[in-house]
Amino acid sequence: MYFEVHQPMRLNHFSVFNIGADHASHSNYFNQKLNHEIFEKVAKKCYLPTNNLLLNLINESDGKFRLSFSITGTFVEYCEQFMPSVIDSFKELFATGAVDLIEETYFHSLSSLYDNLDEFEEQVKMHRQMIKRIFNYEPRVFRNTEAIYDNRIAKKVGDMGYKGIITEGTEKILHWRSPNYIYKPVNSNMKVLLRNYSLSDDIGFRFSSRNWPGFPLTADKYAGWMSRADGDLINLFMDYETFGEHQWTETGIFDFLSHLPREVLRHEHLDFVTVSEAIDRYQVVGEMDVPWAISWADEDRDVSTWLGNDMQVACFNELKNIGQKLKETGNDDLINTWRRLQTSDHLYYVSTKGFEDGNVHAYFSHYDSPYDGFINYMNVLQDLKEKAL
Amino acid sequence: MKVAMIGWEYPPFKAGGLGTHCYGLTRSLADKDVSVDFYMPKTKHNANSDKNNLVIKEVGETEIFPYDRPEDKEIPGQFFESVYRYNDLVAEKVKGNYDLIHCHDWLTMKAGVALKEKMGIPLVISVHSTEYDRSGWLYPNDWFINIEKEGMEKADRIIAVSHFTKRVIVDKYGINPDKISVVHNAVYPLGEGKKQNIVLFLGRLTIQKGPEFFLKAAKKVLEHGENTRFVVAGMGDMFPGLIDKAVDMGISNNVIFTGLLTEEEVEHIYRIASIYVMPSVSEPFGITALEAISAGTPTIVSKTAGVAETFKNCLQVDFWDTDEMANKIISLLRYDPLHKTLAREGKREIDLFTWERVADKTIDVYNRVI
Repeated sequence: MYFEVHQPMRLNHFSVFNIGADHASHSNYFNQKLNHEIFEKVAKKCYLPTNNLLLNLINESDGKFRLSFSITGTFVEYCEQFMPSVIDSFKELFATGAVDLIEETYFHSLSSLYDNLDEFEEQVKMHRQMIKRIFNYEPRVFRNTEAIYDNRIAKKVGDMGYKGIITEGTEKILHWRSPNYIYKPVNSNMKVLLRNYSLSDDIGFRFSSRNWPGFPLTADKYAGWMSRADGDLINLFMDYETFGEHQWTETGIFDFLSHLPREVLRHEHLDFVTVSEAIDRYQVVGEMDVPWAISWADEDRDVSTWLGNDMQVACFNELKNIGQKLKETGNDDLINTWRRLQTSDHLYYVSTKGFEDGNVHAYFSHYDSPYDGFINYMNVLQDLKEKAL
Repeated sequence: MKVAMIGWEYPPFKAGGLGTHCYGLTRSLADKDVSVDFYMPKTKHNANSDKNNLVIKEVGETEIFPYDRPEDKEIPGQFFESVYRYNDLVAEKVKGNYDLIHCHDWLTMKAGVALKEKMGIPLVISVHSTEYDRSGWLYPNDWFINIEKEGMEKADRIIAVSHFTKRVIVDKYGINPDKISVVHNAVYPLGEGKKQNIVLFLGRLTIQKGPEFFLKAAKKVLEHGENTRFVVAGMGDMFPGLIDKAVDMGISNNVIFTGLLTEEEVEHIYRIASIYVMPSVSEPFGITALEAISAGTPTIVSKTAGVAETFKNCLQVDFWDTDEMANKIISLLRYDPLHKTLAREGKREIDLFTWERVADKTIDVYNRVI
């Protein structure tokens, strides 16, 4: 099991009248009040209680229950600013020895899609330093923002020394093959771990859905499904906020989680491994050729979630171009602001996919519509661009 | 099924969304084998129908229109008399074998109630706006409210053009919400024209439609250095005051007042406008927004407008927040991808807003009362 732990830095309302109006406006781009509120709310509903439960489950199972986290830099900054107890509880979990940590870009960004991968490499190194500083650990497995993956990214990550990489087990790349084995990229010697999206989404998306045939989902039923799966390993990857935030306490998600280790370990041929242990234990059975970027997002499982319409592409290009100019100025303050604006969530809010149905995009967005998201983000980018000149 | 429908306006003559609605609804009902006799006052323009089971029946003349107010009519004192006289005339003229009576807004409600009692058949009323909307929530007139309240109470079912209007009917008129169905409006798509650098306001120049907020936003856009023209299309009691205001604000070079436009001129200006703004103070639905969007024109509407509760691919603002209105206008002028995406997605969504759907939902309402 692997959990993604991330919070974006949401923006303040920023109108065209604010562009160029204030020399120090970049310190006010981010809505610290809203970010603080949301962080505290999610910490109370999800991070603290789930960490506590996981710690108990690890201890009760004598370390047989094992799992991995990927924690973003923006999330850690929130912890340090607003609630240091959250990062302490992650440290406590890590200290059990049953928890592994995964590398990603510090800012949960789309820098892997830039023409030049230097910025991507810098952000991975920033994450590496952050994990080293807080946990004194060097991750061996990499997972890119929202599991975005293609041959080019795999090559780069392999060259940076990582032994494994995580992405989505979509039919687009698997065709007839199973996600429950280890593969390797065509152009690198890493091992690829593929998310079993069917079993993962049973927990992440369908758990509380009453018109799903699997409802209500109990730990023993789920462990039964796992025991009948083919292959070497089942990669259950999901947002950490699944517990207590996407699925509220009232849905019984915590009861489910608390029974899961015991029910799984009841089956003799099942056990838990961290992502590092998985790549040590299992051998490669085949190659993955991924010329076009895939991800774990939406039904499309590609990058259209962030680059699916003209507005998103315009923001993305603007963001890229500003970076080149900013780096020439050498102004660290502005460069850091620019990096915070690279967090993929800013583009996610501008997605018009399925907008009419008020689907998951609306659930995650603090804007009234993707158009408001665009106007606000683009205005901020224009302001930053003026500062870069 | 045969329906006696009583309206007040019908194309080619119309003063507002009520006429547009009656046209789209009656034609789609006729296509679905509902026979409709549409009763309306005689006007200079002959309204007629090319459909066998839709008959337009003009009964007598009247000088009152649905958006008139007693205080600005040249015939004070005669206003109320005139309304009563016309309703009596309609009640007398409607004859035939009907399954139900369907009337629209306050002007014909008295006739509707009288006919229901006389003929012993169910009454359905559509509420396109209430006195509260038309007065912009400032000094609503009890005389209208009482007529509306009586009609709503006596009706077997009420069709509201939005949930917003349904709430007004429940909260302000004390009507049981279970008696009210919401049926959102529709549009016959106009098709796109060659866009010019025009930001458009189109509607009656009354307090309800918020034209002064449009001027305030225009001033902010122009002060920001944008080079665009603002067109105020339509007529109403605020017309002279708004012209003075534009002069006082120093923006009269960039603001064009068109006065009342013909049907063709309205369609043309929707097609060539780059941005449509509907800053209504109180807007039960707002068909004009659908018309503009169907012409490929990105549209900014009041958050509280009925259309805003059902149509997604538009921008929304609080009508009083002219800073934000200006922010959105400038963003549309500056950011081409925003303009393009809104135009494209808006036209796609418009295809869901058909009069056929409105007719289906209206037939559902009919079936509940007969």
